[in-house]
Amino acid sequence: MGAPGKTDLLQGTLELLILKTLVRGAMHGYAIAESILACSEEVLQVEEGALYPALHRLELRGLLASEWGLSENNRRAKYYRLMPAGKKQLAHETEYWHRVAGAIGRVLAAT
Amino acid sequence: MLGERAKCLLLRMRALWKRRQLDRDLRDEMAFHLAMREQKLRPVFGDEARYAARRAFGNTAGIEEETRMLWTFRWLEQLGQDLRYAARSFRKSPAMTAVVVLSLALGIGANTAIFSLIDAVLLRMLPVAAPQELLQVQREAGPGAGSNSFTYPLWEAIRDRQDVFSVAFAWSAGQFDMAGGGAVQNVDQIWITGDYFSALGVNPAAGRLITNSDDRRGCAPVTVLSYGFWQSHYGGSPEVLGKSISLNHQLFQVIGVSARGFTGVDVGSKFDVAVPACASAVFDRKTSRLEARSWWWLAVIGRAKPGLTQEQVRARLAVLSPAIMSAAVPSNWDEKSQQRFLKTKLITAPAGNGVSYLRRKFTDPLNVLMAIAGMVLLIACANVASLMLARSTARSRELATRKAVGASRSRLVRQLLTESLLLSCLGAILGLLFARWGSLLLVGRLSTWRNSVYLDLRPDNRVLGFTLGVALLTGILVGLMPALRSTRIPLMAAMKSGALGGEQRRLRFRAGKWIVAAQVSLSLVLLIGGGLLLRSFTRLLALDIGFDRSNVLLVSTDLATAHIPAERMPQVYEQIDSRLKAVPGVLSVARSFTTPLSGRGWNNFVSVDTPNPPKGEQALTWFNFVSPDYFVTMRTAVVAGRSFDAGDTNKSAQVAIINQTMAKRFFPGMNALGRQLRVLGEKDEPGPPIQIVGVVKDAKYDEVREEMSATAFFPIDQMPERGVQENYALRTALPPADVVTAVQRAVAGVNGDIPLEFHTLARQVEDDLIEERLLATLSAFFGGLALLLAMIGLYGVLSYLVTQRRAEFGIRTALGAKPLSILQLVMRDTLAVVGAGIMAGLLISFWAVKLLQKMLFSLTAHDAFTTLGAVGILAAVGLVAGFVPARRAARVDPMVALRCE
Repeated sequence: MGAPGKTDLLQGTLELLILKTLVRGAMHGYAIAESILACSEEVLQVEEGALYPALHRLELRGLLASEWGLSENNRRAKYYRLMPAGKKQLAHETEYWHRVAGAIGRVLAAT
Repeated sequence: MLGERAKCLLLRMRALWKRRQLDRDLRDEMAFHLAMREQKLRPVFGDEARYAARRAFGNTAGIEEETRMLWTFRWLEQLGQDLRYAARSFRKSPAMTAVVVLSLALGIGANTAIFSLIDAVLLRMLPVAAPQELLQVQREAGPGAGSNSFTYPLWEAIRDRQDVFSVAFAWSAGQFDMAGGGAVQNVDQIWITGDYFSALGVNPAAGRLITNSDDRRGCAPVTVLSYGFWQSHYGGSPEVLGKSISLNHQLFQVIGVSARGFTGVDVGSKFDVAVPACASAVFDRKTSRLEARSWWWLAVIGRAKPGLTQEQVRARLAVLSPAIMSAAVPSNWDEKSQQRFLKTKLITAPAGNGVSYLRRKFTDPLNVLMAIAGMVLLIACANVASLMLARSTARSRELATRKAVGASRSRLVRQLLTESLLLSCLGAILGLLFARWGSLLLVGRLSTWRNSVYLDLRPDNRVLGFTLGVALLTGILVGLMPALRSTRIPLMAAMKSGALGGEQRRLRFRAGKWIVAAQVSLSLVLLIGGGLLLRSFTRLLALDIGFDRSNVLLVSTDLATAHIPAERMPQVYEQIDSRLKAVPGVLSVARSFTTPLSGRGWNNFVSVDTPNPPKGEQALTWFNFVSPDYFVTMRTAVVAGRSFDAGDTNKSAQVAIINQTMAKRFFPGMNALGRQLRVLGEKDEPGPPIQIVGVVKDAKYDEVREEMSATAFFPIDQMPERGVQENYALRTALPPADVVTAVQRAVAGVNGDIPLEFHTLARQVEDDLIEERLLATLSAFFGGLALLLAMIGLYGVLSYLVTQRRAEFGIRTALGAKPLSILQLVMRDTLAVVGAGIMAGLLISFWAVKLLQKMLFSLTAHDAFTTLGAVGILAAVGLVAGFVPARRAARVDPMVALRCE
C-alpha cells in the first residue's frame, strides 16, 4: 500500500499543480504532465502515472470536469477542465501554500 | 459540502453500473498518454522508447487499480469478490460445507429456541398501550415476597381509595365448559373488571368491548371473545355478535371481539372468552364471590399516573394501605389473623411484561438450558474451527499464490472471515427454522393437562437480534483463529511444496489439539450436568410415591353445574358409583375430595390428647375425604386397623384413617389405633373427637418432591360441607382411555347434564414433574450431542495428524518400528488431549454444578458416581475416536507413503 505520509504530501502538491495548470484551459492528461514537468524544471520527481489517480480524485470531488475530444494529432483524448469549485479550491490552496512556505522560509532563515 | 458529497455518491453509483465503460475509458486514457510519451522519446531512445515511456509512467496495473478504486465502493466490491470466492470454495467441498452449516445451524438453532422462550416468558412487553406504566399490586407477605391474590371487596377498596393509578383493573383466569353436559369442552376464560380493556388500551376487532357499564352488581351476562378464539371457533364470522353462547351451562351474549394479537396479561396462557366479574353472580349460590371477604380470586394491575415512579407509587400505597385493608377485613377470621391482615402493606411490581406463573417455575430451568445451549454452540464452533483449520492447510498453496500476486495479509484474513461469516449466517438462517420448530416442541413440553401453555413465539426484534449477534460471534470465533494462522505461513515454505514444513505443521496441530481439549472439557461439564439432572429425575421417578399411578382413570364431575341441588347430591353420587362399578374393564371405583398431586387440597390444624402433642405448623394436617374403595383403587396399603366400609356414613360415629407420617408425628412410640383426634375450627376451637380406625402407608399429597406430609382420611359421607365437588378414580384392567366412552354413557344414564373431565393418574404424576423432565431430557440430549461433537472433533484432528505424518510413519516402519509402537505414538497424543480436557472439565464443572444444586432431588451436585461415570464415558469415547486413526497410522505402507512424498 506504500508509505502514506509521503504519498499524502505528494498528492496534495500534485493536486495543487494540476489545478494551477488547468487555469490556462482544458487539457488532456499528457499535456498536464508535460506542463508540470516543464514548469517544475523536473524538480518534482513524480511517476507520470500518479497523475491519473489524482485527476480522477479531483473529478470525483467535483473540482474538475472531463469530456472526450480529439487531440492535436487527431487521437481520442480525455480533456479535463477546471470547475468553479476547483477555482475556489485553487485560490484557497495557493493562499495556504504561500503561508506555509513563507513560515518555513522564515524558520529556515532565522538560524 | 453536502452537495459535493451527494454528487460524489452519484458518480460512484453510476460507476457501479457503468464499470466496464469506466475501465475502458481509463485504459484508453493511459494508452494515449503512453503513446504520446513514446512518440516524444522515439528520437532519443529509438526502439527502446516504448519501455522508456512505461518506466516513466510507472506501474500501469497498480495505477489502474488505484484509480478504479476511487470510483467504486471498494469494500462493496471486495465483499462481492470475497463472497464469490467463498461460494466457489463451498462448491468445491459441498460435503464439508453442509456439515459445517448443519452443525452451526443446530448450535444456533438451540440457542435461538431457548432464547425465544426466555424472551416470550420473561422479557417481552405486553402488546398493549404504554406497558411500562403497568404495575401489579401485591400484598406484602414477608420480606421480598408478595401475594398476588385479592378478594373482590379488597379490590373495590383499592379501586376507590387509591390515588396513584390513573386507572386500575382486576382479573381472574379460569375455564368454562362450553358443552351442555357429558365430556367437557373447556375454553380459557377470564373474569375482568370494567376497566380491563380500556386500561390496557385494547381496541375491539368487532362489536364493542366490556366497559364499566357492563360491570355492575346484577349485570347481564355478556362476553367478549379473543380474536384467536373468534377465528378458530367461529371462523371470524360477524354473525356471532349478539348471539348467546353457553358457558358452564349459563348463556352469555357475545358483544364483541378484542384486538388481534391480544391474549390477556397472563403470559403463558391465553383467554378465549372474557366476562365481567359481576357475572360471577349467576354461578354463585350461598357465598357470592363479589361479597366474600376471604375468597381470594383476583389479581390487580394499575397504570401509574404520569410522572409517578414506582418508588413514589409504593410509598404512597404504603400510606394508604391501613385504610384500604380495614375496609375489607375478613370478618370470619380470628382476632390474630385480622390484626395481621390490617398490618399488611400493599406493594407493587412492574407488570409491563405481563404476569406469569411460568416465571417462578421456569426461570431457573430456562437459564440452565440457555447456558447448556451456549456450551453446545461453543463445542460446535470448536468443531467447525478445527475443520476450517484443516481445510486452510489444504488451501495453503492457494493462499500463498494469492499472497504472491500481491494480496495483503489483512485482505486474505478478511476473505477467510467472510467465508466463515457466510457459513455462520447460513447456519443462522437454517437455525431460525430449527428454533421455530424446537421452541414449539419446548412449549408443548411445558404444557400440562391442566395448564396448556400458550406463548407468542413469533420472533421479535430481540430474538432476531440475538440470532444475528450469535451468528456474527460464531463466524468470527470459528474463522478468526484459522484465518490468522493460515495467513502467517512464510510464503516460500508454502510455495515450495503442497504440504507444510515440519515447524508450521506442528504449530497448526498444536492449535487443533487445544481446540479439541477445550471441546472435551466443555463436553465433560455438559455430561456431568446432564448426568446429574437425569439421575435426579430418575430418582424422582423411582420414588415410592405411595400409590400405583398406572391404569387409573380420573373423572372429575361437577354436579352443581348440572343444577343438582346439594341435598340430592349424595344420592346422585351413589347412583353413579353403582353404574361405574358395572362398566366392563373397571376393577374398582373410588370417590374422593381430591386425588394425589391434583393441586386440590384441604388442610386443618389437628389436636390430639397425648402428653406432648405437635404444635403450630407441626400440627397442620392434610385432609382427604374418600369412599371405602379409595385405598384399594390407589393400591395404598392399609398397614394397621381397617379401611372405611359401607358402615361409615354421615349417621355413624366419625372415624379417620391416618398415614404413617401422621401416626409417627402425633403418636410417637404409641399405637395410634383407637386414639382420637380433633380438628381445630376457625377460632382454634377443637371439634368433636374422631376415632382413628386405621393407618395407611405414606403417599404424596401435593407434589412428588415434597417430604411426606401428615395426612388424615375421613369417610366421604362424613365431609363437613355438602355440595363440594367430588371426583372419581377408577382402577381399570384396560388402558384407561378405552373405558372413557363407557364411563360417559354410564354417567349420562344417571344425568346427561353432568359435565365430565377425563384424565389419568399417570399423567397427573407426569405433569408434576415437567420441569425436571424437561431439564433432564434436554440436558441429557445436549450432553449426548456434545459427546458426539467432541468425538468427531477428536477423530478429525487425529486423522489430520495421521495424514500429515504419513511419510514419517512410513519411514519409521521402514526403519523397523513395530505397528504397535506407532499405535502408541498416536494414542499418546490422544491421551494427552483427552486427559488435559478432562482435567480442565473437572475443574470447570466443580464450580459449575453448584448452580444446579437447587434443581437436584436428593443428590449432591458433587455426586461421585455421576462425575466418574461422565469421565469414564468421555474417556472411552475419546479413546475410540483416537484409536481409529491410530490404527490407520500403524498400517501405513512405507512404500506408498514414501512415494507420495
